[in-house]
Amino acid sequence: MADDFQFDPELNYDEATLEQQRQIEKDIADAQPLISDRIGLDQVIKEYTAGEDQVFVRKIEEMKSTYKCVRKTRADGNCFFRAYGYACFENFLTDKADYKRFHEVCDKTKDDLITLGFPQFTIEDFHTNFMEAVTKLETIDQEELISMFNDQGLSDYLVVYLRLIVSGLLQKEHEFYANFIEGYATVKDFCGHEVEPMGKESDHIHITALTQALGVPVQVLYMDHSEGSKCNLHVFPEDSKPSITLLYRPGHYDVLYS
Amino acid sequence: MAGSALRRLMAEYKQLTLNPPEGIIAGPVNEENFFEWEALIMGPENTCFEGGVFPARLAFPPDYPLNPPKMKFTCELFHPNIYPDGRVCISILHAPGDDPMGYESSAERWSPVQSVEKILLSVVSMLAEPNDESAANVDAAKTWRENRMKFEEIAAKTVRKSLGI
Repeated sequence: MADDFQFDPELNYDEATLEQQRQIEKDIADAQPLISDRIGLDQVIKEYTAGEDQVFVRKIEEMKSTYKCVRKTRADGNCFFRAYGYACFENFLTDKADYKRFHEVCDKTKDDLITLGFPQFTIEDFHTNFMEAVTKLETIDQEELISMFNDQGLSDYLVVYLRLIVSGLLQKEHEFYANFIEGYATVKDFCGHEVEPMGKESDHIHITALTQALGVPVQVLYMDHSEGSKCNLHVFPEDSKPSITLLYRPGHYDVLYS
Repeated sequence: MAGSALRRLMAEYKQLTLNPPEGIIAGPVNEENFFEWEALIMGPENTCFEGGVFPARLAFPPDYPLNPPKMKFTCELFHPNIYPDGRVCISILHAPGDDPMGYESSAERWSPVQSVEKILLSVVSMLAEPNDESAANVDAAKTWRENRMKFEEIAAKTVRKSLGI
C-alpha cells in the first residue's frame, strides 16, 4: 500500500482529509438518529451474538435482570451530552418534584458564564434557546421531546450549552479541577480544547462537572471486556441516588432504562 | 438546521448595526440570503495598512455557529496570513483539531461562542500584526521578515489601490 503512494504536489491533502472526515460524519448521520426510540436489550444483544464477542453477550444477559431497554444516541462525539440531556429532560416530563430547582439552576448559569468572561451576546443566544427547551418541559410530551432532540439545529444548541455549563463549572472551580487535567497548562485551555468544541468526547471529568453544575446525578453502567459477567456501575456523585442511567460501551454512551 | 443559523445571523447583523466596532462594516450581501456577507475593513491606524479600505466576503455554513464561516478578501492584499487568492488564514476560522497550518495550541480557535464581530476584530489584529510562523503567503512572509521596507511599499500601494487612487 505504502509503496503505491505517490505524493501529488497539486493535491491539497489537508482539504482531502477534512473532506473524508466530513463524509464519514455524514454516513453516520444518515444511518443513526440523534436519539432513537427505545430498543429492547434482546435487540442490542444481536449486535454481538453473530460475532465472537461472548463477553458482551454474557454481560447483556446479566444486565437483563435489572434493565429492559436502551435509547441509542448518534456516535458523533456528543453522545454523553445528548444522552444525559435527553434522560434528564425526559425525567422532568413526569417527575416535577425537582423541576423548579432545576429551572432556576439552569437560568443562573448564564450569569456565571458571563462573569467568567464569556461573550455576553453569544452566551445569551445559547442560553435563550436552552431555557426555552427547559420551560417547554412543563407542557410537552415524550414524542415532542424526541423530535426536539432529533432536530439537529436545536439539539446541537442544547449540546453546546451543556458543554458551556461544564466549561463554566470547571473554570469556576479551577483550583480543584486543575488536579485532574493532563496535557494542558490551565483548566481554561483544557476547556477550550476538550469541553467546548462540538464532537469532543467526554470523560469522567465532564460527567462529574455536569452533574455537579445541574444537581442532577447520573449512574453509568460500564460494559467492557473485563472478566466476570457483571458491568461496573459508577455513580456521579458517589453518595447520590440517580434516577437516570447511561450505558457505556467503549467510546459511546446510550440511555439505559429499567 | 438552517433555522437556528438564520436566527443567529440576523441577531448578529442587528448587533453589528447597532454597535459597530471601529473600522468595520459588515452585513449580508442582500437580505434575501443571510449566509453570504460582505465586509469592509479599514486598515488599522499606525500600521502600513492605515487608510486602506479592504472588501471581503464571508460564507457561512448551514450549521453556523457550530462551524465557522470562510472568509476571503476580494481585493489584492499582500500579507503573510492571506493566501494569494484572498482566503484568510487565522486560527479563529478553524475549529480545534482542524489544523492545516499547525497553529500553536494556545491560539484562539473557532467555538460556537465566537461571532462575526470577533472574527473581524481578529482580522484587524492580523493586519496590524502579521504572524509569519504560519504563513499562507510564503512570499509575503519572507518579505515581511527580511525586507520590511519593501513590504511597507507594497502595502502603501495596496492602500492607494483600495481607495481607487
